[in-house]
Amino acid sequence: MKSIYFTLKYFAITLWSMFVIAPFLWALSTSFKDFNSVTGGATYIPWLQFEPSLEGWKVLVRSPAKGGVDIIEPYFNSIFVTCTASLISIMLGTLAAYALSRFTFKAGIIKNNDITFFFISQRIMPPIVLSIPFFLMLGFLGLLDSLFGLILVYIVLLMPIAVWIMVDFFNKVPKEIDETALIDGCNPYQAFIKVVIPNSIPGLIVAVLFCIIFGWIDFFFAFILTFTEVQLLPVKIVALNSSVTPWWSLSASALVSVAPLVVVAFIVERYLSKGNLSGALK
Amino acid sequence: MELVTDNLTFKPENEYFLNQVSLEFQAGKLYTILGRTLSGKTSLLKTIAGLQPIDSGSITFEGKDFGSIQVWKRNVAMVYQQFINYPHLNVFDNIAFPLKQRKIKPPELVNKVSSAIRKVGLDGFEKRKIHELSGGQQQRVALARSLVKKAKILLLDEPLVNLDYKLREDLRDEFKNIFSSDFSTNSILIYSSTDPLEAMQLNGDIIVIDEGRILQSGIAKDVFENPSNIRVSEVTNDPAMNIFNGTIESNKIFLNENIRFDVPVHLKAIQAGSYHFGIRASDMFLDTKGFDFNVEIAEISGSETYLHLNQDELNVVLLLEEVKNFNDQDNIKINFNLKKLYVFDEKGDLLFSPFNMN
Amino acid sequence: MAKIEFKNVGHSYDQTAKHPVYALKPFSLSWEDGGRYALLGPSGCGKTTMLNIISGLITPSEGNVFFNDQNITSVKTEQRNIAQVFQFPVIYNTMSVYDNLAFPLKCRKFSESHIRKKVNEVAEILNLSSVIDSGAKRLTADQKQLISLGRGLVREDVAAVLMDEPLTVIDPDLKFKLRRKLKEINSKYKTTLIYVTHDQNEAMTFAEKIIVMDSGQIVQRGSSKELFERPSTTFVAYFIGSPAMNIFNCSIANNELILGKFKLKIDKNPDQITSNDLKVGIRSEFIDLSDKPKENSIHVKIKSNEDFGNYKLLTCEFDNLEIKVKIKREQNVTSETTYLILSKNRLCLYEKEKLIN
Repeated sequence: MKSIYFTLKYFAITLWSMFVIAPFLWALSTSFKDFNSVTGGATYIPWLQFEPSLEGWKVLVRSPAKGGVDIIEPYFNSIFVTCTASLISIMLGTLAAYALSRFTFKAGIIKNNDITFFFISQRIMPPIVLSIPFFLMLGFLGLLDSLFGLILVYIVLLMPIAVWIMVDFFNKVPKEIDETALIDGCNPYQAFIKVVIPNSIPGLIVAVLFCIIFGWIDFFFAFILTFTEVQLLPVKIVALNSSVTPWWSLSASALVSVAPLVVVAFIVERYLSKGNLSGALK
Repeated sequence: MELVTDNLTFKPENEYFLNQVSLEFQAGKLYTILGRTLSGKTSLLKTIAGLQPIDSGSITFEGKDFGSIQVWKRNVAMVYQQFINYPHLNVFDNIAFPLKQRKIKPPELVNKVSSAIRKVGLDGFEKRKIHELSGGQQQRVALARSLVKKAKILLLDEPLVNLDYKLREDLRDEFKNIFSSDFSTNSILIYSSTDPLEAMQLNGDIIVIDEGRILQSGIAKDVFENPSNIRVSEVTNDPAMNIFNGTIESNKIFLNENIRFDVPVHLKAIQAGSYHFGIRASDMFLDTKGFDFNVEIAEISGSETYLHLNQDELNVVLLLEEVKNFNDQDNIKINFNLKKLYVFDEKGDLLFSPFNMN
Repeated sequence: MAKIEFKNVGHSYDQTAKHPVYALKPFSLSWEDGGRYALLGPSGCGKTTMLNIISGLITPSEGNVFFNDQNITSVKTEQRNIAQVFQFPVIYNTMSVYDNLAFPLKCRKFSESHIRKKVNEVAEILNLSSVIDSGAKRLTADQKQLISLGRGLVREDVAAVLMDEPLTVIDPDLKFKLRRKLKEINSKYKTTLIYVTHDQNEAMTFAEKIIVMDSGQIVQRGSSKELFERPSTTFVAYFIGSPAMNIFNCSIANNELILGKFKLKIDKNPDQITSNDLKVGIRSEFIDLSDKPKENSIHVKIKSNEDFGNYKLLTCEFDNLEIKVKIKREQNVTSETTYLILSKNRLCLYEKEKLIN
């Protein structure tokens, strides 16, 4: 009885894993193909079914003058913009969330929960609604087609996520802990840094993760607010497309763009399971 | 060396948290704030710590206005009824926290923390995380953290109320020993409780608070023996004092048609009229020649049996200092120790007490 | 309704081990029909395992369980006719009080008229008649808990109602009301009630018979008076009563009990005693004071005299041992020393932590 259950369970898990991993494997094999191998029907295994070629990968690093698309600069642009925007969003968002969790704000009928909702409501609107105002604002400030302008816009997009996640986590840390820290001689900033933050680490990690993911995958704003000076990875990848779809280099660039998220996911997963602090708070 | 609160009032919504609280606390003494849940005990302690705002009134400490000093600069320590510690730190670091905040360095730091750990009986637990401790141990950590910095004002907000009854009993003795052995003569200790037994055992001054207002304060024994009104008599007794509406006519006390008796000696001066009579549950006893009552339920608490009895409309609680089994609806006979009868006037203020009033 | 019997029931969660570690050591026990029982013990003592064996959530690894002489050891929970009340009220928020109470009967396809009669009767007893048509969601915590209980009572076939710390979430003031209700229900319906708690006071107030458990073993069964006066192990002596029983190491010589430098008479036959591991206990309530030596008296120094209001507690010392004595508040003790009378019928003698009878 038990062994049947065991077998079934693993069968289901294997099936699901295959379903999830298959597109990656396909992309991986396609990235080593050339025009002939792609158009000549479905093939999967290199050397046996098709002759592997590095052309798809080489295109990504070749300069445009030689017929390539240099993604190295956009790649580092993307990393820089995502990390900076995430970092600033987390810093500001955490402070805002702490204030929303600990102090009572009241302006007419607007209370703490309404303010929190106001933050997250930024994300409820379809991005298209925000595109024109953002475009005009950056234009006015002379920040169109610049990394700095993009970072500003991304902060607006990412901070609500940080606020929303952190308010919830701070609410789970009893207020009496901060009070005890004050009594023990901490000023409010020290209490926040020394006591509240260390007890909200899982929340902080989740918030960082979400900010990075949402920042990294954005195509829409990167597309609208940049032209030639500055390009981000998603925009550059789409630019690969031409009259003949270069499946090989598209696959290669897709893998390259997913890679940082995979690395982040592995690091974070380890942190979340090791530092399970949330269980320490009742 | 004293803490004075003057007319503290705090009324955030429609309810008074504190209502004109004026008190004086002397250094080297222990005060127990006694009151029911939500009576304003925690509010008062938090106000003294500086964690709660007030609408009006002032606090002075050692002659200086306390209100303008921020929490982290006041020399206070506090233990909460919830077991509040820093979950991300181990036992040692929890207790060292206030000292590190004051830039105290090892070896002094280690010495002080180790001695505090020894005092609360947590030797060997230094490296444990907070969530690996039982409730009682967590509260010991909190106590050690509040003792280690030798604060001038130590506030304990019902520190034992969330513990099991047996643990509460053990820790009550232990805490009392710590207070008497470790407590320096230049600090003020303020302990809040709902339990009159605890207040009596701590044997300091009792401050009775109700709906944010101070009803009575004084030496524990005096407050217990001469409660200034019916509400105080309820709060300072567990079970609450039995109160009867009765009359005095021609030197006899009538509680209802069946229960009447001669006016006892200490009430000789009383006029005829209607009064509230009060008698403690422990001042009644089983007596085969006594009055008939029905057992509503017999509750056992520790080594005591609380008999909830009724006769028609009259409900009383009788306390037996032993464990006895009764069936519900049993008929029993009880009597009153009239030497211990209290008399309150129509408004509920104390008129006559069996103990000397001064 | 049924008589429940445990025959050599024991349970170990790791059944493959050579020397099983018992969560519940094998024992036999019978629960009388209509009895009011409390299972009392600190957390981890095995009381929840015991409860789960009755309800059928756990099949014991040893022994058999009988309901009315019928072996039901391997019968599933849903076929056992057991009702259970948990710490947190289990109610269907979207239904009215009536529908909540009627639910178990509707599931068993009883006639509409039978359901109506039964539900109204139970609602009456539980004081829920006035709210019977309102939604269950808005009720107070104690009313919700009464509904959980009521769902067990509407069924006539329940063998027992099991309650696992049912008053945990109830306000202290309401606990008293609910406890009284439970007793009333027991006397009216004659349903066996089994109440699990770690709270001595709750168990002693509620139950006719208390089963005290410690580390997977039943250490004593009896009424609260028996538990208080003749605790069968030193653990019970500590666990029941406030303050705990005074307990000292002692020895026996020439038919007398040697307690430090004092010799005391006992009413036990010393031939029963085979080991040196002896302790003697006495409740602080049962000790009398005297100014001069009397039979079975010990001379002690008074260390402290605490006024608790309802009584005074003397802490006395002899041979570096502490003994606590409860006295009336009126009794004035001014001297520094006194004699304590430990009358022989109040002494409990323990060999290897177990009471010698």
